[in-house]
Amino acid sequence: MNQDALKELLYKIADDLLILGHRNSEWTGFGPLLEEDIAFSSMAQDKIGQSYAVYQMLTELGEQSPDTVAFTRNANQFHNCQLVELPNGEYDFSLIRHFLFDTADALRWEMLAQSSYEPLSLLAKKIKGELRYHTMHANTWIKQLGSATEESISRLQNSLTAAMPYALGIFEESHFEKGIITEGVFAGEQELKKRWVSKIENIITQTQLLLPDLKIVAPVFGGRIGKHSEHLQPLLDEMSEVFKIDPTAEW
Amino acid sequence: MNSLDPRVARLPQVGEVKPKKSLDQFGTFEVFVQAKEGKPFQHEGAIHAPNLEMAYLLAKETFTRRFTCVSVYVADTRNVLVSQTTEGNQSAYELISKEDEGDDQGAFEIYHLPKRGKQHVHAGTVEANSSRDAMYRAKDLFALGKIIYNIWVIEQDKIRFTSAEEKDLWNTLPEKKFRDASDYKGGDKLKEFLSRSQLPDTGNR
Repeated sequence: MNQDALKELLYKIADDLLILGHRNSEWTGFGPLLEEDIAFSSMAQDKIGQSYAVYQMLTELGEQSPDTVAFTRNANQFHNCQLVELPNGEYDFSLIRHFLFDTADALRWEMLAQSSYEPLSLLAKKIKGELRYHTMHANTWIKQLGSATEESISRLQNSLTAAMPYALGIFEESHFEKGIITEGVFAGEQELKKRWVSKIENIITQTQLLLPDLKIVAPVFGGRIGKHSEHLQPLLDEMSEVFKIDPTAEW
Repeated sequence: MNSLDPRVARLPQVGEVKPKKSLDQFGTFEVFVQAKEGKPFQHEGAIHAPNLEMAYLLAKETFTRRFTCVSVYVADTRNVLVSQTTEGNQSAYELISKEDEGDDQGAFEIYHLPKRGKQHVHAGTVEANSSRDAMYRAKDLFALGKIIYNIWVIEQDKIRFTSAEEKDLWNTLPEKKFRDASDYKGGDKLKEFLSRSQLPDTGNR
């Protein structure tokens, strides 16, 4: 198995989860309802827990420890898609991003359950329950607010339109794509995107929202090769603030 | 707003906050949790939500994010028939009389409060014509020789259950001790901080 190809795949999965986990955790204490604040914070913790599990795989492959990898890299060393680093905005944007990303994430892990790389297929089975909740949560909210009031529908529609170019950036292909597919590690971004479009359509058609025409939306690529928006570095600075003051601190 | 939390500084400036109209709130839903297979469901608390499905969604994290359990269900508070509450040696069932029989048949879930101050526990399911009829019928089935201080009845059709395929919701990564308050060892840290700052610990700070 090509180690560089495998590491690249693991980094992009783990970085997506860490960055979105951190972003979503910014809602803790500010959520729209007490119960929703708890649910959204829990899912943020799930994502950070999942990223930790993938960083541990990277440590096994000779990379540095999870904390070092998470807290000491600069923005241009991160492989996450740009969707996950965008500021939270208002709750409508955070919900739409949660829906678009988590649908892709759950499908990715469903595919990884068949991976020839055993640590990935084992982890996929372990986190299936968490992912079921995340997509159930996203779908329920989108169906609820996507058919509720004029304000909720137009807010979600605007966020959906704004987020879509970034969401398509999730599926930026790696130059190791072919090898990853032929070695059976992961069935590839194109296959994932195909499944994702069908899931997204299925939910959106149950609401009064309109899915933008994906053929004419230009994807925002670059995240997978370290090109990021101006929003990632400030997030990293904030996330690593304590670690940089005292790497041995426990909190 | 001044705060050490950078997230607070980033909050959008809101203008004047107007109070909501009175009663402009979500309704409540009752949440029941099953700790282990074979154990009865127990009432854990209530949740605010706009509808039954949202209530299920929010109940799952609010009531089961830390503790192991195998199933959860929710019902609209308005669909819970509540008996009178009794004390001492009087059972709530003693105050229930037979209802006129109707035609509508259905299954009803019965919950008992076996001790004041505890939670309602699922006692069983009865076929009946109405919630009131179910409460009457439950006495001989589930309460012989017992003192029950309060009874709840919920029509089965009005409950959002966990489906068989949803049971893996609680099959999650175990390495999440950080969700538990005990993992932060607050007492130990305070002691260490006090000894480092060399302040005499008078114990009545």
